[in-house]
This record gives sequence, structure tokens and C-alpha cells, in this order.
Amino acid sequence: MLTFVVRRLLLAVPVLLGVVFVVMLTIDLLPGDAVTLMLGEHATKDAVAKLRDHLGLDKPFLVRYLDYVGRVFLHGDLGRSIQQNRPVAAELADAWPATVQLTAAALVLAAVLGIAAGVASAVWPNSLFDAFARLGSLFGLSMPIFWTGLVLIVIFSLWLHWLPVGGAGSLAHLVLPAVTLALPSVAMIARMTRSAVLDVLYQDYVRTARAKGVGELLVLGRHALRNAFIPILTLLGLQSGQLMGGAVLTETVFAWPGLGRLMVKAIFARDYILLQGAVLVFALAFVVINLLVDLSYGLLDPRVGRQG
Amino acid sequence: MRSLPSRLVLGLSVLGLVGALVPAADAQKRGGTLTIVRPTDPVSLDPNLETTAPGAWVYFNMLEGLLTLDEKMQIKPLLAASYEVMSPTRVRFKLRPGVKFHDGTPFNAAAVKFTFDRALRGTPPARWASLAGSLDGAEVVDDLTVDVVTREPYGPILRTLAMYCMGMVSPTAVQKMGADFSRAPVGTGPFRFVEWKTNTHVIIERNPDYWGDKALVDRVIFKVVPEEGARMIALQTGDADMVLFPSPAQLPALRKDPKFTVHETTGIRVVFVGLHAGLPPLDDVRVRQALLHAVDRKAILENIMEGSAGPARGVLAPGVFGYKDMQLDRAYPFDRARARALLTQAGWTPGPDGFMHKGGQRLTLSWLAARGRYPKDGEITEAVQAMFKEVGVEAKVQILEWAAVFQQVRGNPLNHHLFTLGWVTSNADADYSLYALFHSKNVPPTGWNTSRYANAKVDALVEQARRSLNQTEREKLYGEVQDILAREMVWIPVYTTKEIIATRAGVKGFSIHPVEYNLALWKTWLEK
Repeated sequence: MLTFVVRRLLLAVPVLLGVVFVVMLTIDLLPGDAVTLMLGEHATKDAVAKLRDHLGLDKPFLVRYLDYVGRVFLHGDLGRSIQQNRPVAAELADAWPATVQLTAAALVLAAVLGIAAGVASAVWPNSLFDAFARLGSLFGLSMPIFWTGLVLIVIFSLWLHWLPVGGAGSLAHLVLPAVTLALPSVAMIARMTRSAVLDVLYQDYVRTARAKGVGELLVLGRHALRNAFIPILTLLGLQSGQLMGGAVLTETVFAWPGLGRLMVKAIFARDYILLQGAVLVFALAFVVINLLVDLSYGLLDPRVGRQG
Repeated sequence: MRSLPSRLVLGLSVLGLVGALVPAADAQKRGGTLTIVRPTDPVSLDPNLETTAPGAWVYFNMLEGLLTLDEKMQIKPLLAASYEVMSPTRVRFKLRPGVKFHDGTPFNAAAVKFTFDRALRGTPPARWASLAGSLDGAEVVDDLTVDVVTREPYGPILRTLAMYCMGMVSPTAVQKMGADFSRAPVGTGPFRFVEWKTNTHVIIERNPDYWGDKALVDRVIFKVVPEEGARMIALQTGDADMVLFPSPAQLPALRKDPKFTVHETTGIRVVFVGLHAGLPPLDDVRVRQALLHAVDRKAILENIMEGSAGPARGVLAPGVFGYKDMQLDRAYPFDRARARALLTQAGWTPGPDGFMHKGGQRLTLSWLAARGRYPKDGEITEAVQAMFKEVGVEAKVQILEWAAVFQQVRGNPLNHHLFTLGWVTSNADADYSLYALFHSKNVPPTGWNTSRYANAKVDALVEQARRSLNQTEREKLYGEVQDILAREMVWIPVYTTKEIIATRAGVKGFSIHPVEYNLALWKTWLEK
């Protein structure tokens, strides 16, 4: 088990190296000069040259890449943001909790609502509820986040005055962004759960369990759900990545002070050091979540652990 | 050129102590919190690191310079009590006595010197160093007297010192706080810093020890709401008192609604179609003039800008010092017949395909433009392209990302005839535009003369105006430059931006400034 974890963590290193490489290369290939853009239209040549020198931008790409990677992986130093002259680590530390809060809330919401709706649809297939749930999930999947977000703001903030328009601070502030972010995932999870549970419900061991006289709730909980859970869990892991990506849009619509906003700000300001740091954190989070998902397979299905 | 010192007739020019300009105080109320929503968080609250609006809106209320520009774009003393021009490169300021920074440090000549040294000699230099022209620094004369020195005679020095980003910083605070200063600046202004939560809000509060009239509201909260629609909803639900960058589409309804006030004024940015004067056929002034006659600028203002911009009467915005109405509508009215006549004079004749031809060549112009860099720039480019077609001129438009357009117009050679650009006269002095944009020395890659315009007379006039500290003389010289430009036309000026801010009707005493960065909030009060 431990070797499995260590091996997976070591495998994450080339993934992160690759992510940094791609991000730095993309920024390098962008048209226009980062420093001129940063200093604005009115910058003198002298000022541009000085800042470029200060940032080490006149070095070749590979040298800059190795410099950065060396500093990050050997010294844990993410550098200083160009615009604010503040440690990137501090910027990320400020923004990180808000995104975790939002993503976690959305994930819990998506899991609870999605699984509940999916199970109900599977237990009563082709019922009125099932039809509604399927239609609803189609809706949830097709609506873009920024649109759903604005519609929810109009209904719950402007008309009903129940919830604040945006910002962070209280639980009330979290409701709308979390729901908005969760909706597409609820839909996805509901559909996946429905088909996984339906699949399991026709298995022999479920029929056996019923034949033994096990109560329907127990059949569902112990025999069906537990087995249906592996694909659902995989989806949850993937969805958490999706949710982090979606957070960029949700955070913008709801003025939520998280990593997504930080990243957008860094892109517009061409603050590539901050951007690299933020992308690195997203990548790391994704790697860790997927590792956790893989580990939890072992808990649900003892066969997985033995093979690993 | 005339000898300079003899022209320095300013002598001792006492600017007079204003301050008692607050309107009748009958209904004014103190207290309350003013909540402002705007699209982006500051980059920094230190002018050394931030010269763009999101930071300036906040620090303009906390940091004060020696001089400032009022809403009528007149220079007013702030931390200076008076000034005297000592020589073409030296202006002596008497400082206002008894002023203290928010941390208790006394404001004096040493603080002025410290502020300029930090900005101009630091590594890297301040972001605003490029805006400050020849400014070289300050020399302490005595505790309350300081000389501001320029490397060469520099006429725009007063307007430079009145820029929003020239605020004085507390030397003790900078030394104590180091890099943290940029997140919690200490100045002398009517508001002082309270808290900045990244991407959430910045809070400032009334400075109870302010040397002048104290601010009326207790606190100001600047919230970040990136989404335009969400900002407007925040205003309607009462979550916000003031919206910066309101949605243009909602302004007509807001103007009619008694619950809200829309504040607007002409800004200082001119958006234009630049003409490459060095690239045939645009090296022929008749072709350039024909293009001006071909454009229906009024229709663009009415149908594309829909009231969110003002007419461009010349290459400068009206609020800029040295501005002269170039009378474009009279000199170059929208008149397709005249456009065709001018093209015919220049040797172009209509061909069978509907376009003008000369020597078997069609009159084709290549056009570089971005979309979304300036309000409606893409739409304007397309509209003008269609208008050109009506007079037989084919424009081939290439829409690229702003960074790529920037790189090309600032590079050499430029292989496009036309380009859509905007220009802000940052220090509100004509020098900043006429010298930077039309002096032949400033042809890229050196400067911003993107039209590649070269006229020895213009060069001489803008140089003379730059070296003079006699503002009356400067104004006259800039007038002459604009007269020449009005004949030669290397731009098609399209519109002047408008500054627009929406508030609840209960927000009183606020006056909007032509320079978007100068968001003055100390006279604003809330009617509950």
C-alpha cells in the first residue's frame, strides 16, 4: 500500500514538470512582449530593458525553464509575482482556501444530489420522477455556468432578496456559487449513478440477496450501491477536476476570491510567474485527488488493493 | 528659437489656498459606508507598481501629490502651498506646513525627495517613471522648501506633478514595511488604509487628522465584481452605492430611473484610425483627406457608440492642456463626392469593378486592428471599411490580438496603411500626445509616431513648447501644431471616450473627473 502511494507520488513529478513546461512554452509563444504589455503603452525603451533584465527574461527559454523548475522543486520557491512583487506562495495561500471551500461544497452537493437522484431513477425506472430527473440533468448539462449563475442571481438576489449578489464571507454567500458550480456535475453523476445502479440491480447476487429475503433497503445499500460505487467514484474524481476548472467561471460571476480569479488576473496582467504557480497548484490538486480516488477503490473493493 | 529664460515670466505664482470649496453644507450628512463595485482588484496600492485604474481609484484617496488637477482640468495646489519657476529645469515648491502622514511622520521636503528617489532611482524604476518625462528628482532646500529638478527644460512638469500617481509616501512606513507597503500604503490623504482582502475588497476610512476638509463618509469599501451584469444587479439590490464601468446597455434605463444617478463627462482618450503617412498611396495628402471625407463620423457616434462616447474634434481630447478644436466637421464634412474628387485629383480613376484605379492597380489599403482593446473598436473598423468601399477604396482588414497589433505598429517597418488605436494623454498636457505621436524623432521603434509623420515645422514647434515653461506661449505653439495637423490629417479621429459612473440617487456630492483614475470620494456623502 505504502509503495503504491510513493510510486504514484513519484509519478506525479514528471506530470508536474510537463505541466510547467507546457504553460511556460505557451506564455513564451504568445504574441506580444510580456514586459511591454505590463508596463503599458507609454513605457520607455529604457524602462522595458531594465524590467526585462530584472526579470531575467532575456535568457533563452530552456534556461528560464530549468531555473524555474530548479527553484520550485529543489527549494520549494515559487518566486515573486511580477505585478505585486509579493511571494507567489503568499498569493496562492490567500486564494486557495476559497477555491477549496467552493469546490468541496459543490462536490458534496453534486455527490449527494446526483447519487440520490440517480438511485431513485434506477429504483423506479421510467417513472415520472425518472423522466423529470433525466430532463433536469439534460438541462443541467447543457446550461453554461455563467448563464445559470446570472439567472440564479436575478431570481434569488434581485427578485427574492434571499441571498447576496456575490462576494464571500458567510454561508449565504456560498450557496449560489456552489449550486451553480455543482449543477452540471449533479446531472453527470445522476446519469452515471442511474445506469450503474440499474446495471447492478440485474446482477445475479442481487437476485440472490432478494431471494434470501434481504430487505430492499439493505439490498440497495449493501449489495447494489457498494458495487455501483466504483464507476461513480471515478467520475467524482474526474468531476473534482472539472469543478476546479469551472471555478474559474463561477468565481468570476460571483466575485468569489479564489484561485480561478487569481489565475484570470495573472493572465490579463501577463504575470507569468504567478500564473505558473497557480497552474502548478491546480495540477498538484488534480494529481492528489486522483490518487485518493485510486486508494479508495481498495476500500470499496478488496480485490483492487491486492493486485496493486 | 527664442532664448528660454527670458520667456519665464511666471515668477512667483502663488496658487492660493483652496479648500473651502465645499458647497453649501445645509443638507450634507456625515457618516455611513460607501460601497463601490468595480470589475477588478488592484494590482497594487503603490503607485510605483500600479498606474492602472483599479489601483489608482483606491490610492488616489489616500496619497496626495504636490499638485492636483480639478474636475475642470485646472492645476490646483495640494501638498504644495505655492511654487516658483527658478530656471528652465528647476521649480521651487513651498510645502504646506503641519501636514502629517497617516503614521504620524511629518510631511516635509525630505519626504518629497524620498518619494522621487524611490520611484526614479529604484530597481526596477516606478511604473510611472515613463510617464514623467524629464523629471529627475527633488532637492531639499529647507524643511518646507523643495526644488523639483528636470534633466532638461520640460514644460509639462506641472501637469506631470499633478498626475494621479505622483502621491507622496511616508518614508518611515516604506522603510519599516518593505514590500508590504504596496498592500497598505501610507500617505497624507483624506482617507487612510484599513484592509485589503485580495479579490474581495479594499476598505479605506476617513483620516480623522486630515489637514483639510475631512471626508464625509466614514468608510469606503471597494468590492470586486467582475461580471458586468452582477455589478448592475448589486446596484439595484442596494448591495452597492456606486458602479464603476456600468453596463452601457442599461444606461438609458438608468438615466430615466429617479432611484439612480448616471454621472458622465468627456474623458481624455481619443480613439482613431491611424494613417501611415509614409506608405503610398497615403503619402499623398489628398488621399488622406479623401478618406476623412468618406467617413460618416456622426453615424458612428449615434449608431455604434449609442451615446457612450463624445465626438473627436481633433487629435486631443478637450480636457487636455493645449487642446484646440480642429474643426474637423467643418473642414472634412462627410461628403462622398468630395472624397471621390480628391481621389481623382490624386490620379485615381473609377475602374470597372467599382474601385478606384491608377496604373492598373486597385486602390487597396491594408488595415491592422484589434477587437475589444477600446470600446467598439472592431465594429468601428468594420463600419469604416464599408464607408471606404462607397468611395471606391478597398480596405483589407486584419483583426489580430491586441498584443500582436501593438508589436506591429510599434515595430519597423509597418506594412499596413491603417490601424485602429486609442491614445490617452496621461498627464493631460498636449506634449504627451503631440510630441510623442507626431515628432519625427518618435517614429517606431523609438516612440509612438505610428503614422510615421515627419514635418520639420511640427518638430520645431513641439520641441519649443516642450522646452518652455511659459504656459501661455506653450498653448499658442500647440495651437499652431494642431492647425498644421488639421491640414495634413494623418489620423481619422473617431471618438473621445466618456467617463461614466452610476450611483444610487442617495449618493450626493460626487463629481466625476475627466481622468478616470481621479476618483475623488472625500466630498461624497450619503443621504440615508
